[in-house]
Amino acid sequence: MPRTRPPRTLALGLTLLLAAAAAAQEHGAEPQTAEPATEHPAPTASPHLRAPRHVPLDITEPVKVVSPGEAFVEALAAANPGRFSQVDEHWVDARGEYVWDEDEELYWQWLSAEQLTRGRRDFVQFCSSCHGLDGDGYGRSAQHLRPPPRSFHQSTFKFTKVPSAFLPNDDALIRLVRHGLDGTPMLPWDVSEERLRDVVQYLKTLSPEDSGWRDPTNEIGEVVATTPDPWVGKEQEAIEKGKASYHKNQCYSCHPGYATPAEINTFRGVPAETTYGADLTYSKLKRDSSFAVQGYQVSIPAPDFTWNTIRYGRDTMEVFQTIAAGIGGAGMPTWGVVGDQKGAVPDEEIWALAHYVRWLIDTYKDRPEREAFMAGLRAP
Amino acid sequence: MTSTTSRIAKPGALAASVALALLALQAPAAAFMQEGPDRWGPNPNASANGGRVDTLFWVITALVSVSFLIVLLMLLVTVLRDRARPGVKARYDHGSSLHDKRFTAGVSVAVFLLLDASVLWITMHDLRETVWNIPTGTQNVLRVEVLAQQWAWNFRLPGADNEFGTPDDIVTINHLHVPQGRPVVVHGSSKDVIHSFFVPDMRIKRDVNPGAINKVWFQAEKPGDYEILCAELCGFAHYQMHGTLTVVPPDRWDAWQAEASHIAQATYDENDTEARWAWDWKE
Amino acid sequence: MSGDHIHPAPTSFLRKHVFSTDHKVIARQFMWLGLIWLLIGGGMAMIIRWQLANPGLPVPLLGHLLWPRNGGAVPPDSYNTLFTMHGTIMIFLGLTPLLIGAFGNFCIPLMIGARDMIFPTLNMLSFWTVVLGAGVAFASLFVPLGAAEGGWTAYPTLSSTIGTPGSGETMWAIAVFLIGASSIMGGINYITTVIRLRAPGMTYTRLPMTVWGLVLTAALNVLFLPVIGSAMILMVLDRVFGTTFYVPASMTQGGAGDPILYQHLFWLFGHPEVYILILPAWGIVVDLLSFFSRKPAFGYKVTLGALVTVTVLSAVVYGHHMFTTGMTAMLGESFMLLTMIISVPGEILFFNWLHTLWRGSLRLTTPMLFAMGVIFVFGLGGLTGIYLATISTDIFLHDTYFVVGHFHLTMAASSLFGAFAGTYFWFPKLFGRMMSEKLGKLHFWATIIPLTIVFCTMFISGWAGMPRRYYDHTDSAYLRPLQHLNVLTSVAAFVLGAAQLIFAFNFIKSRWWGAKAAMNPWQVGTLEWTLSSPPPHHNFDTIPVVLSGPHEFSHPGLKDRDWLPQTEAAPALPPGAAAPHAAPAGTRA
Repeated sequence: MPRTRPPRTLALGLTLLLAAAAAAQEHGAEPQTAEPATEHPAPTASPHLRAPRHVPLDITEPVKVVSPGEAFVEALAAANPGRFSQVDEHWVDARGEYVWDEDEELYWQWLSAEQLTRGRRDFVQFCSSCHGLDGDGYGRSAQHLRPPPRSFHQSTFKFTKVPSAFLPNDDALIRLVRHGLDGTPMLPWDVSEERLRDVVQYLKTLSPEDSGWRDPTNEIGEVVATTPDPWVGKEQEAIEKGKASYHKNQCYSCHPGYATPAEINTFRGVPAETTYGADLTYSKLKRDSSFAVQGYQVSIPAPDFTWNTIRYGRDTMEVFQTIAAGIGGAGMPTWGVVGDQKGAVPDEEIWALAHYVRWLIDTYKDRPEREAFMAGLRAP
Repeated sequence: MTSTTSRIAKPGALAASVALALLALQAPAAAFMQEGPDRWGPNPNASANGGRVDTLFWVITALVSVSFLIVLLMLLVTVLRDRARPGVKARYDHGSSLHDKRFTAGVSVAVFLLLDASVLWITMHDLRETVWNIPTGTQNVLRVEVLAQQWAWNFRLPGADNEFGTPDDIVTINHLHVPQGRPVVVHGSSKDVIHSFFVPDMRIKRDVNPGAINKVWFQAEKPGDYEILCAELCGFAHYQMHGTLTVVPPDRWDAWQAEASHIAQATYDENDTEARWAWDWKE
Repeated sequence: MSGDHIHPAPTSFLRKHVFSTDHKVIARQFMWLGLIWLLIGGGMAMIIRWQLANPGLPVPLLGHLLWPRNGGAVPPDSYNTLFTMHGTIMIFLGLTPLLIGAFGNFCIPLMIGARDMIFPTLNMLSFWTVVLGAGVAFASLFVPLGAAEGGWTAYPTLSSTIGTPGSGETMWAIAVFLIGASSIMGGINYITTVIRLRAPGMTYTRLPMTVWGLVLTAALNVLFLPVIGSAMILMVLDRVFGTTFYVPASMTQGGAGDPILYQHLFWLFGHPEVYILILPAWGIVVDLLSFFSRKPAFGYKVTLGALVTVTVLSAVVYGHHMFTTGMTAMLGESFMLLTMIISVPGEILFFNWLHTLWRGSLRLTTPMLFAMGVIFVFGLGGLTGIYLATISTDIFLHDTYFVVGHFHLTMAASSLFGAFAGTYFWFPKLFGRMMSEKLGKLHFWATIIPLTIVFCTMFISGWAGMPRRYYDHTDSAYLRPLQHLNVLTSVAAFVLGAAQLIFAFNFIKSRWWGAKAAMNPWQVGTLEWTLSSPPPHHNFDTIPVVLSGPHEFSHPGLKDRDWLPQTEAAPALPPGAAAPHAAPAGTRA
């Protein structure tokens, strides 16, 4: 029978083709939102925009870094008589890890290539997206982040609870990683202590020549001495004492003040008419020398305890340690006792401050009561 | 010759014991269940339009349950009734008659209409009226820019001037405040890999892709704190990428926004150009 | 057509057992490969379920061996590798070799009356290409930063060097490419063989539905594996040579591409892939339901039409995997409509299956139980597809455990049950021995009950908002109250895993010590059952002439038996037998 109509398959094919063309148009129909060229700020001149095709994962040479000190090595030798042998007044490590330097008069710690390779690989796996493949703080996800991720090319760590005059010890760094820094993308990472120990050794090797762990004059310190809390059972008194201490010590020069001018004058013992700037109850921006981004030193506001999330202060003890140790580079002094040096503030008072800070957070942060509280402080 | 009842009784007992076994298997698991209130579903919907998702979910559940029950019943009947028995022959039927074809076609059309077309009808309405119907700036909208990264959410509110990229922008990490009872339109992108902005209590989800901006909107109807989850694999810490959505009651929103903007302006560093990440808002 | 030429059987060990071109040997090779990798992939699933139910606890037995530096618990990076490789292995190294490689190779030439595949050397190459791909995938587990971690879907930019440095992901892409190449080779072979080497009288409508399922799968393989092959090539180019096909221009990346391009390419393959995995199972189910109901398959031509429709439509529904990516309303709604439409032929299939059973004379053997099990699990799984086809519910359920439950029931359980059914059914012909019926039935019940619990609990978890691919749900305050569901799922999963050992034991025991099989133990009429168990190297001494269809059971004209070999013509219908029940045109003598 002669065909009088166009073949059905042809019609079907044309229909499908048209449908496909229409669909293709539709998926392109959001070009404005899909093209960021004009909307996003132009990519900055970061050298890390293209993912390098080859990421070095192996460390072939061992590196020597500052050891935790003579006392540490002596204790190690006493506990491992088979491994250490005494020569003159110093110890020789059969494993070659701790080596006495006659000129510098200290023990160096030699980190093996195997350990550093393990640390390097885990660093790339877990840390490099923010801290950068070279550990310089320029990870891809670090762009525009404030505070920026730590650069390990400088050796200032803010929250290890080790006073900033010292380098942090391994345990303090490991604990920091596993605790995380609240309110930042530095989360409490689920990486085992054993793996973190190797990562920490690798981080030490990122210190530039003659600085950080490669500077023989630097000492590795301990977490600030943490006395027991003397205010147990007397928390209300602690809060009051803490409030007085906070304003007497002028914490409001960086953090907000949380008392009326009259109260502050009483705490400080200054004339009652003394006035303060209108922005007393707001945080101040502070230059943070531990962060430099593209050569620019970044400023971080000192936290407002009723508004911001503090990094390492989930309980009173953690707040105590932060105050006592200080925060290196950020302008938060070491308020506590360090070695023989007398601290600026006695421990009992630091504990009171810690109670006060936690009280401010628990009472006002993310709570409706804050508005009235701050309004009361700002009333003329 | 066995009677009908006893023919059914044995396989019936088998079916019953299977069902009981299924239930009984829950018992040892119960010993492992954690303490504290267990949930078996999402939290109640807290948004203006999320209820439609719930409704449609249960409508579909009713339809598929009935369908599956019918299939199960047919399977059960045939297993009980049609077991091979001596002297009983299977029915020789290729099912290729015109009657059979018509019946099949009829059933298919009926099933499509009942199961698929009905659902399509409901969802098309929901989509047109809510999901695709993103409110524009003239509708008292709160605009939010979300920049996802490994492994955190960066949020930016425009502040009182409703402009992005100005000193009063409220920039936060992992904590988003929105007003209750107003449409919130979210424009999202990512710094590095694909993430997905998922707020279960508002019943919304949208991927945030690097190099693109996706839009989603919701209107929160109940004040409180809700969790934001990441719903697209983004690396080893994908499970840790949470944020908090705080819905502020309408009488407190202006005060909160004013305070947040003031704090933002007080701590604005105009020389830190690298800190800027806002993009122009395009409806 | 193939002539009556019989090639001499090989004599050397290598030619007989390693580099054989005999489709039956290759089928067994695929079967062993598939079963072993299913075991490995299943073991990974057990570890995943352990971690989810007991976050951070050391894994029993294997933990301290595999993760000594993490106290024996799974670390988060390894967890991502586990679910990535679990998916990849189960799909590409488990189900594909078993269902398509083994049964395709074994059944097609025998069922169509041929002596071998039309391209025997290509056939042999297709097996060894899979082995090569498996080797690459296995080797990727030992590279410095570990194996692929981006999910089996491997979306960029997570799977680009931005999200995943190291060579594991690159090797994964190469492995997938190789395995895909193997499937393309196989697909070409299957289609050409069925077109060219059917015995005289074996018309297309006299083919067992198993063959049709495999042919349609082969067509999809040939059409769509090149798509994922290209997607993998582009990924390797991006990762190794620094191109930016998938890397966009954005505030932090300096590329010129689009990660969504990958998603389109991947799912353009990925959706047909799920049909690739189910079509052979469906074909097997059609045949087995008929065989063990002693009744013709109801509506053979309509069923075939449904399978072909599904095959064709499978190409245009893939967008339902991408509803949350930011596509326009029109594109999304088009995919939604097409996805709804593709469920219709599936419904027809169900109808015909149930109608095949109806008023049959059911022999509830193990293959029959698994075939009926497919009706159950695919019913559950397929119906839950409606939630995911509907955009407004999918937006909530996407990337939650709801999806995981859905695709495990439709893809894993249904395909696997089809594979189990096929294994129990063709075991006598493959190995010349019978598998234990008692152990088989035990395996069935010990599998289907926990399986239902595992994946139905996932529907609850998904509806509750539990996202997938999370290492530890208790990290989130929203998800912590759902942890009991994880525990329940895992307990059932462990039972399910243990039950497969029954199958493993039965398989191995029967392979060497099972009861010797007769020529036609199931009393069915397809051509492979006219040969010895196992068949000789050349299959047929003389190419058979086919005179009837594969489902001529309980023909009223048959006197002393209820089945008819395809080499015999159907007898005349006795007077009084109604015409509408006759065989469809083309299948009669």
